[in-house]
Amino acid sequence: MRRIFLVVMAAVFTVSLFATGAFAEDFKLSIPLPLTGKQAKFGEMMKRSYEMAAEEINAKGGIKKKKIVLSFEDSGAKPDTARAIVEKLIDVNKQPVIVGEYTSACAKAVAAVAEERKTPYLIVASADDAITQQHYKYVFRQNAVNAHYGDGVVDFLRRVVKPTTIAILYESSAFGTSGAEAMVKDAEKLGIRVLMKERYEAGSVDFRPLLSKVKAAQPDVVYMVSYVMDASLLMKQIKELRVDAKLFAGGAAGFAIPEFIDNAKDAAEYVISATLWMPEVKFPGAREFAEKYKKRYGDYPSYHGASAYSALYVLKNALDRAKTWTPDKIRDALKTTNMKTAFGPIKFEDREGYQNQNFMDTLVLQVQKGEFETIWLAQYASKQYIYPIPSWRERR
Amino acid sequence: MKRYLPFVILTFLVLLPLAGLSTYAMHILILVIMWSVIGMAWNLLGGYCGQVSFGHAAFFGVGAYTSGILYQKLGISAWWGIPLSIIVVAAFALVIGFICLRLRGPFFALATLAVGVILRVSAENLTGLTQGDLGIMIRTRTWVGKTWYFYIILALAAVTFFLVRKTIDSKLGYYFVAIREDQDAAESLGIPATLYKTIALCISGVLTGMAGAFYMNYMGYIDPKVVFALHDISIVTIMVVMVGGAATYWGPIIGSVIMVLLAELIRSIPVLGVAYQTLFGILLIVIIIFLPNGIAGDWPKLKRLFGLRGAS
Repeated sequence: MRRIFLVVMAAVFTVSLFATGAFAEDFKLSIPLPLTGKQAKFGEMMKRSYEMAAEEINAKGGIKKKKIVLSFEDSGAKPDTARAIVEKLIDVNKQPVIVGEYTSACAKAVAAVAEERKTPYLIVASADDAITQQHYKYVFRQNAVNAHYGDGVVDFLRRVVKPTTIAILYESSAFGTSGAEAMVKDAEKLGIRVLMKERYEAGSVDFRPLLSKVKAAQPDVVYMVSYVMDASLLMKQIKELRVDAKLFAGGAAGFAIPEFIDNAKDAAEYVISATLWMPEVKFPGAREFAEKYKKRYGDYPSYHGASAYSALYVLKNALDRAKTWTPDKIRDALKTTNMKTAFGPIKFEDREGYQNQNFMDTLVLQVQKGEFETIWLAQYASKQYIYPIPSWRERR
Repeated sequence: MKRYLPFVILTFLVLLPLAGLSTYAMHILILVIMWSVIGMAWNLLGGYCGQVSFGHAAFFGVGAYTSGILYQKLGISAWWGIPLSIIVVAAFALVIGFICLRLRGPFFALATLAVGVILRVSAENLTGLTQGDLGIMIRTRTWVGKTWYFYIILALAAVTFFLVRKTIDSKLGYYFVAIREDQDAAESLGIPATLYKTIALCISGVLTGMAGAFYMNYMGYIDPKVVFALHDISIVTIMVVMVGGAATYWGPIIGSVIMVLLAELIRSIPVLGVAYQTLFGILLIVIIIFLPNGIAGDWPKLKRLFGLRGAS
């Protein structure tokens, strides 16, 4: 017993010692991500996308002839772990720039550290509006803010559906809350009456009481902001209870990743969702990335993957332009970014009360025959939208 | 020698920041000390008084939110949250104690479990007061460096350590242990059990709440899911004490070293990937199976294992 214990401990320490050995020519980049816990699905997709981008960049000669060597650190979506990782990256690894994280809570913790330590931080997929409203100088965000996630959907509602009433369901998280608030504001602008705005506990197993209320209220549109498991369960139970509405709409995240269709099956049909990116978009490299990802992992990536994939190109672009790789020089280079990526054009602007924020068109997708299709904005559409949608009774 | 051990360790820790540690090491140290405060606080109630609470996140969160609301709503420095949380958490603990401490054993544990969840849901819904899920964010934290945070939490830990020790060495401590061993027997000897259990809960809650207020200041961001977390706060608190050794002075401190420092070390082994959780889980299982009284509680057994019997 005692000997085994000693051997195990010795092994653990040797491994951790060797793992820190470095090659001088490589550019080592550690990325904090949630690889365990509820958000692991998103983390996994982003990890794969980062790896694909790094491979491509290395194949073409790396960044200033340096090879990118990626490693990933699991934060488990816990802010204090995320912070620990970033403190380590900045202080011990002397990494001059931080990329990564997913949940808004973790991104907030990381952003505060990055700002204090004057190290640029590129946010890839955290949506909470507040993060880029803090007058942070070193925090950049390339995905849209949550307040704009629904823009495409709102536009679609205004031009096609023209509803008079809406019901908003959202999960209790920073992402859900700010998404729902944004939709309420947009609905008021369009003169749509908000019949109900109900929060539910993330990870619930039964939405039927909530959905019965929706059924009784008879809204034209049901708008939901959820992460992955809740999104599919909501649609399944909507089908079960035969809650009919003119349109079911989701606010990105859980509605826009392949697992949604896998889990909800035919209940997902005709559901539309906001999204930031689709494989069909006509950005350079988008299609290639999507096909390559599908070939390797069997499914198309969602906007999370595309954003992560492009983040490394944005970083490469900034590092190519930066004279020296000090945090301040990289920060200045990021600030003047103006490039096209598979995720769309990236440019960090200060406007509408945001700082270093990239603004982008948000798209609308619809599930048609078990596949995601882009239906709006018209110039990006891959298929004509299907509206009005059949009621549950008419479907077979 | 043994008598002076706390002072030796305290002096060592006070001098530690002078060694110029990296902020990463300081961050982990601060978390270790913060968890040992929470562990010691829980130990007073759970270890000595025998009232196992599964809801210490409630006290932690109330402390954190006291601090956060002061900052957010009144525009006062969040540091005032630490003294103020004494009053707020004490009042809150009285109410909780009044309701939950009539229950015994597993029923008390379940009631506290519920309290933690109730508070999380309340904090999510009282958007006017707590900002709901958007959480409270401090725009700029007081210090960029870690030294002062370190000394503040160290002071809190020292106070907690000596307070717990003083309490346990006094008559109060004997009452607590009597209640733990047999509540009916204790009552028959004239100890008003509910009163003393409430005292234990109040002290324990207040200390945890102060750690929560510190967390708000240190991390600069809280939301209900972070501070009222069942797993990440309440259960980890219990694990800290159980691994270290319940009803021992040093147990919670050793426990927090394992639960924070060792967990972080294991997490940092790159070859493991996400399997680090498995490894850490197995380690905890091994500790609990072979050292059911925790590391401090089963110290003699550990010594025998390493063949150090003659050394002490």
